[in-house]
Amino acid sequence: MSQTVLAGTQFSVQIHFLSPLINGIANGAAYGLLGLGLVLLYKSNRIFNFAQGEFATVAAIVTYVFSSGTGWLPDLPFFVAAVFGLLAAVGIALLTERLVIRPMFNRAKVILVVGTVGVALLLIGIEGLLPYPKSQGLPTIGQVFGTQDFIGRIDGIPILYQDIAKLLMLAVLAFAAYLFFQHTGTGTAILAVSQDTTAARVVGISVERISLITWGIAGLLAGVAGILLAVPPTGTVTPGAFTGTTLIVAFSAAVLGGMTSLPGAFVGGLSLGLIQAFANADSTFVPGLREIQNSQELAVFLVLLLVLLVRPRGLLGREA
Amino acid sequence: MVADTQALPLAGKRERTLGRLGVRLLAALPLILLVLLLPAKDDNFSHVAAYAAIFVMVGLSMNVLTGYTGQISLGHQAFLGLGALTGANVVSSGVHSADPFTFALGLLIAAAASGGAALILGAVALRIRGLYLALVTLVFGSVFSDTIFTLPSLNGHDAGVPAYRPDALATEYRYYLFALAMVLVCVYVDVWVRRSKVGRGLIAVRDNELVAQAFGVNVLGYKLIAFTISGAMAGLAGGVFAFWEQAFSDKDFLSVAGFNFALTFVVMVVVGGLANRGEVIAAAVFFALVSPLSPLLPWVADHTHWGTFYGNNKFYISNVIGAVLLLQTIVMNPGGLGQVIGPFDSWFGGKKFTLHDPDGDAGVGAMEDSSVRA
Amino acid sequence: MSVLEVTDLTIRFGGLTAIDGLNLKVDEWEIVGLMGPNGAGKTTAFNCITGFYKPTHGRVFFKGNEVTKVPPHRKAAMGIGRTFQNVGMVKSETALENLLTAQHTRAGYGPLQAISGSSVVRQRERDLVAHSEVILDLLGLSAIRDKRIGALPYGTLKLLELGCALATDPDVLLLDEPSSGMGPEESDELGERLLSLRQELGVTMLLIEHHVPLVTAVCDYVYVLNFGKLLAEGDPESIRNHPEVIAAYLGGEAPEALEQTELPQDQQELAEATS
Repeated sequence: MSQTVLAGTQFSVQIHFLSPLINGIANGAAYGLLGLGLVLLYKSNRIFNFAQGEFATVAAIVTYVFSSGTGWLPDLPFFVAAVFGLLAAVGIALLTERLVIRPMFNRAKVILVVGTVGVALLLIGIEGLLPYPKSQGLPTIGQVFGTQDFIGRIDGIPILYQDIAKLLMLAVLAFAAYLFFQHTGTGTAILAVSQDTTAARVVGISVERISLITWGIAGLLAGVAGILLAVPPTGTVTPGAFTGTTLIVAFSAAVLGGMTSLPGAFVGGLSLGLIQAFANADSTFVPGLREIQNSQELAVFLVLLLVLLVRPRGLLGREA
Repeated sequence: MVADTQALPLAGKRERTLGRLGVRLLAALPLILLVLLLPAKDDNFSHVAAYAAIFVMVGLSMNVLTGYTGQISLGHQAFLGLGALTGANVVSSGVHSADPFTFALGLLIAAAASGGAALILGAVALRIRGLYLALVTLVFGSVFSDTIFTLPSLNGHDAGVPAYRPDALATEYRYYLFALAMVLVCVYVDVWVRRSKVGRGLIAVRDNELVAQAFGVNVLGYKLIAFTISGAMAGLAGGVFAFWEQAFSDKDFLSVAGFNFALTFVVMVVVGGLANRGEVIAAAVFFALVSPLSPLLPWVADHTHWGTFYGNNKFYISNVIGAVLLLQTIVMNPGGLGQVIGPFDSWFGGKKFTLHDPDGDAGVGAMEDSSVRA
Repeated sequence: MSVLEVTDLTIRFGGLTAIDGLNLKVDEWEIVGLMGPNGAGKTTAFNCITGFYKPTHGRVFFKGNEVTKVPPHRKAAMGIGRTFQNVGMVKSETALENLLTAQHTRAGYGPLQAISGSSVVRQRERDLVAHSEVILDLLGLSAIRDKRIGALPYGTLKLLELGCALATDPDVLLLDEPSSGMGPEESDELGERLLSLRQELGVTMLLIEHHVPLVTAVCDYVYVLNFGKLLAEGDPESIRNHPEVIAAYLGGEAPEALEQTELPQDQQELAEATS
C-alpha cells in the first residue's frame, strides 16, 4: 500500500513539474525571440524600443492577410506570405528609423524611448483600423507542413512542433547574432557607432547606413518572432497583443540575461519563462501565491527589480 | 552696469499688479463662463466634462513627477486605479447613496493610498537610473494592476465594486462641479508646489542633481516627495473617477486598457509641454475628449456619416490621434502645445504678445537636460 | 580655529590615485588658494571636501567637527558653499529663481507647510526674494534678475554663481576657478569683490585658481598640488617664485630643481638633450 502511495506521489509531482517546464520553455523562447531585437537596439542605440512588439505584429498581420484566403484576402502559399510579412516588418522598422529616430539622434535617450512609445501606439491604431478578422491566428508549423501539431507526448503533455521551432529559431538566431557582432565588419561597425558616432565617422563608417541596417535587422528579428508567435492557442494577430503581454516580459528577460548580450536574450528568455511558469498560480509550489491571479507577473517584476538593484548588467552582460 | 530698476514707488507697483490681475480675469471670463455653464445644458456634456476634469488632475499629477522633476512614469494607471479601488471600497456600504462623510473619507484615503504606493515604489526603485527606471515603472504599472486589482476581496469578486455618490452629487452637472472643485484643489497644491522651495528643489533635481545638492536639496528625498505628491493627486483623480463611473471595475486598468491609459498620460504631459500648468491642462482636456472612454467623439460621429466606423474603431482612432500628436511634438515641436499656447500664456501674464519666444523655454527640452538620461 | 581642515586625504579611482595624502587647512577669515596644473586633483579635492566623492583615506573637518562622510546637501546646509568648474546652476530658470533655490536650506519652512500656502510661507518667500535682490545688487547683477540664465555670457554666469553660493549663507566658500572666462579687468574687479565680501560678510574662502595676479592680490596662503600630491605651500609671493611650482606648470623640471631631485635615467637624458 505504501508503495502505491509513493508511486502516486511521484507521478503527481512529475505532472506538476513537467507542464510548467514545457510551458516555461515555450514561453521563454517567445521572450527570447522578441528580446533579441530589443538587445540589438539597446547595444546599437542605447534605447529601449517599445515598438518592437508591434513590428512583430505587423509581420504577423501581413502574413495572415496574404495567406488566409478568407473573404477578399489572397491565398498565397504560407512561405511566400511570410516573406511579405518579414518585408513589412523590416519596412516599418526602417520607416521608424528614418522618421523618428534619425531626426532625434542627438536628443536625450528618454525622448527617443517616448518616441518608440508613440510609434507603438500609432501602429496599434493603424493595425486596428485595417479590415481583417482580429482574433485569428497564423497556421502552426504542423499545419504548414501538413502534419500533426505535436511530435509526441510526455506523460500526456503534447510537445508541439511550434514550440520546438521557436526554441530552435531562438538558438540559431542568438548564435548567428553573436557571431555577427564578434566576427563581421558590419557588426563591429554597429558597436563602434553605438559608442561614439563621431569617432566612427572619422574612421569612415557611414553612421546613417549603419543605423538603417541595425533597425532593418531588428525589424527582421521582430518579424520572425511575430510569425512564429502569432499562432493559436497562445498567440493571435490582434493589434497590441504582443505589446500588452509579451513585450514587457521580453524586456525583463533581456535585462535578466544582460541588456548588452545577445546570447543573454536566449538565457534570460528561457530563465524568465521558467520562473514565470513555476510562479503561475495554477502550478506554483509557493504557498500563498496561488491566491494571486497573475502571480507570474509579480514574479517577473520581482526578478526585474532584483536584477536592477543587485546586478544591473544581468547574467551575461558586461556593462549595465 | 548697475541698472536702476527701482524707479516706481511702491504704491504704484501695487496698483499695477491689481490692474493686471483684473485684466486677466476679464479676459478669462468667457472661458470661465463656458467651463461653468456649458455642461449644464446636457447630462452628456457634464459627463464628458467631468471625465476631462479627471484627466486634468492626472495631467497635473504627471506634471509634478515628469514636468518638474524629470522622472518618467510609464505605469501611472496603477495610481489612478488604486485611488478608484480605494474610494469605491471605502464607501461601498450596500446602500444606494453614500453618506457625505464616508465619501470624503474615501477620497482622502484614496489619495493617501496612492501617495503611499508611489512613495514605496520610489523608495525601492529610485536607486535604478535612467531608462531602466522607466522600464521598472512600466512593468510596475502593469503588474500592480494585474495583481492587486484582481484580488477578489478588493474587486467585488470580479463583479466590480459599486461606488455610490452622495445624494447631493446625484446629478451629472453637480458631480461635474464637484470634480471641478477637486481640480481646483490639485491646482492649488500645484501652484504652491511651484511657488515654493519644493518646486524649485524639484526643478533643480531635474536640471542638475549635483547643483541641487550644492544648493542643499536632498535629491533622493525630493524625488520621493515628487512621487508622493504625484501619486496622491492621481489617487484623488482615481477616487473621483470611481464615483464618476459609479463603480470600480478592474477591467478598466488591466493589460491593454491599462497600458493605453499609461501611455496616454505620458503623451499628454509631453504634448502639453512639460512643467507648464496651463498647457498641461489644455492637453489633458484634449486627450480626455478624444479618448475611447469619452462619450464626445461618438456623439460627434453619430451626427455625421462616420458613426458606425467610429463606433467600431474608437479605441484605435484615439490611439492614432494621440500617437501622431506625440510624434509630431517630439520630433518637430519640442515645446509641445506650449509653443503654440505659449504666446497667449505670456500675453495673459502681462507681457507683450509676440510669437517669438525670447526665453526659449524647454518643454520637452526640459526633460532632455534632466537626469533621466540613460 | 580652522574653519576647514583636511588630513591625509587620499582618493583612488580604480588603479589611479587622484589625491595622495593631502593636508590642508583654512583658518577663519582667510582666503586660501589651491593651485596646480590641470589634472592635479584640485576639483577632485573640492569634491571630496564637499562630499560628492567619498575619500579612500583621510578626514575632513568643518569648524572642528568631522564631516568626512556627510552627504553634499547636508554640508551645504551646514555652511560649506561651493561653485563648479563649468558653472553649476539651474540653467532653465531665471537668475532670481536660482538665488531663491540656493536659499533652499534657509527658507524657514518645510515641504508640508509649502503645499498649504500658509501666510508663513508667503512671508518667508517675500524675505527670500528680498535677500536675493540684495545679493544681485551687491554683485551688480540686478539687470538680469528675471532673465533665463541659459543665454547669458559666461563671465556673468560665473558671477551669478558666486551669488548663488553666497545665498547658501556659507561659513566657508569653495570657489572653483571663479575667474575663468574673465579678462584682466574683470578679474581685478573680482579680486576686489572677494576681498570686500570677506570684509563685509566675514566669509572664509578656498579658491581654485590659475590666474596668478588674482591669487597674489587676494590669497593669504596658497597650496599647490601636482599629480595629486601637495607640491608646495606658503604665501603667494614665495609660491610664485618657487622653482618646482614653475616647473610643474611648464611641464618639465626647473634647472635648479634638477640638481636637487633624483631623476630617472631617461628623463635626465631628455632634459639634458632639450635644455
